[in-house]
Amino acid sequence: MSISRANLRLSIGLLMLPAILLQNNLVGVALQASYIIILALAYGRRFKLLPNLIILLSVSAAHLLQPNGLRLFSIGTFPITAGALALGARKALVLIGLLYLSQYMVTGRPTFPGKLGKIISLQFYYFERITTEWKNIQKKPIIGALDTLLFTLERIDTTGDRSTLSQTKPADRRDWMIGGWHVGVLWGLYFLGSFGVLPVLA
Amino acid sequence: MRSLSKSRPPMRLEFIALLGAFALFLSTVEYLIPKPVPFMRIGLANLPIMIGLGLLNPAEFIVLVCLKILGQALISGTLFSYVVLFSFGGTVSSALVMYLLYNLGSRWVSMVGISIAGAMASNIVQLVLSRYLLFGESAWLIAPPFLIMGLATSIILGIFTQQFMKRSVWYRQKASL
Amino acid sequence: MKRTLVGDLAILLLSLAVIVGSFGSYGDIKGKPEVHVRVGNQAFVYDLSVDTLAVFSGPIGETSIEIVGGKVHVHDSDCRNKVCISAGWISRPGQWIVCLPNNVFIMIEGRLTTDEGGVDEIAF
Repeated sequence: MSISRANLRLSIGLLMLPAILLQNNLVGVALQASYIIILALAYGRRFKLLPNLIILLSVSAAHLLQPNGLRLFSIGTFPITAGALALGARKALVLIGLLYLSQYMVTGRPTFPGKLGKIISLQFYYFERITTEWKNIQKKPIIGALDTLLFTLERIDTTGDRSTLSQTKPADRRDWMIGGWHVGVLWGLYFLGSFGVLPVLA
Repeated sequence: MRSLSKSRPPMRLEFIALLGAFALFLSTVEYLIPKPVPFMRIGLANLPIMIGLGLLNPAEFIVLVCLKILGQALISGTLFSYVVLFSFGGTVSSALVMYLLYNLGSRWVSMVGISIAGAMASNIVQLVLSRYLLFGESAWLIAPPFLIMGLATSIILGIFTQQFMKRSVWYRQKASL
Repeated sequence: MKRTLVGDLAILLLSLAVIVGSFGSYGDIKGKPEVHVRVGNQAFVYDLSVDTLAVFSGPIGETSIEIVGGKVHVHDSDCRNKVCISAGWISRPGQWIVCLPNNVFIMIEGRLTTDEGGVDEIAF
């Protein structure tokens, strides 16, 4: 079966997705998220600590308002419970894991079939042109600048050569094996979590 | 759907893609603007949607809304995470509210009112989603600041859109076609 | 121009009403009743509005409580007389169930009354 590298990556990601969503074990989801972040890094995505920290802290803090389980300590009369912390952290890690999985899935710029695929690639073509044209436009009266931009774009001939950015190179056996390995790791961690092999916190 | 598109003039794919790209461009501009609060957004990418209200037929408008959601999700890489559900819920609800207001009440509201209504619809839907997907009951705690920020930014965006529609040569040329 | 101002103002007022209404959430969360459970010297806290099944282990075995629809009861206990199970459901702040043999004490508190130290005075 011939499938492009970009679309193989997309399919691999789709197979990995439920393994994170179904994960109930905090340690398991933390390991899965770490693996995916490393995967996304390996495919050229950047990792920024601060946004992830904000997700982790805000989601955990939100869950503290619903106390659940052992009281670790109290801030004033407000109880900090282990169960609430664990639930919040797990939800935040699922979100972070999905975010990076999603980034990994679109790193090759997969192509979409049919009319929708055509119009999306047209949209991205225009987008590339906007980012180059915008540098040469004087921004002072902003509405005038946007006018210039829109007029310039309309004059572009889109019927000519439109180089697709998608990695259309077909996937070889190595790509399939690496993809299979990733899927295996994610589901392996899921089963380790659900069969109680991994430690349960809280 | 098929009979609808047959009775109408052919869809202006290039024109829709251009507006979709414009939305993408504005969301990258928004990304570069520093924000004091992590969940704050200005919603610049809604400008092309509001411009589209007066320039596109219903089918074209739906395609533009899809392009905004898909394009943003592809660029930010969130297409397959549930962040895309927030984008989808927010954009679809605000587009629907703005479309109805523009077509049923345009004698009574300006783009400012349409912008406010769209932002409120979008933010309420996103709060409900965050209640079920992220924060639990305490999602309602972030409701007041979230809605207030949305109201403020939507008023500014509405005034800007109103000005754009009045002053832009490009817009007036398209609208008169 | 005047006419569009009417609609804009109506939308603005409606939005402000929604925002004012959204502040109501602050009151709700503060006064939410909680289920406090004491097992030996460990304290556990649960939200009475969230359905939960929790198991605790005391000196003679396990005691499990169940929270359903804003009420809580002892679901099962390894003690002999099962007084705690027959105590049934409780739902209002101040109500309590105790399982003496297994040293498990369950009490409902409104968060605002916590600093009055209700639990500690009655339990010890």
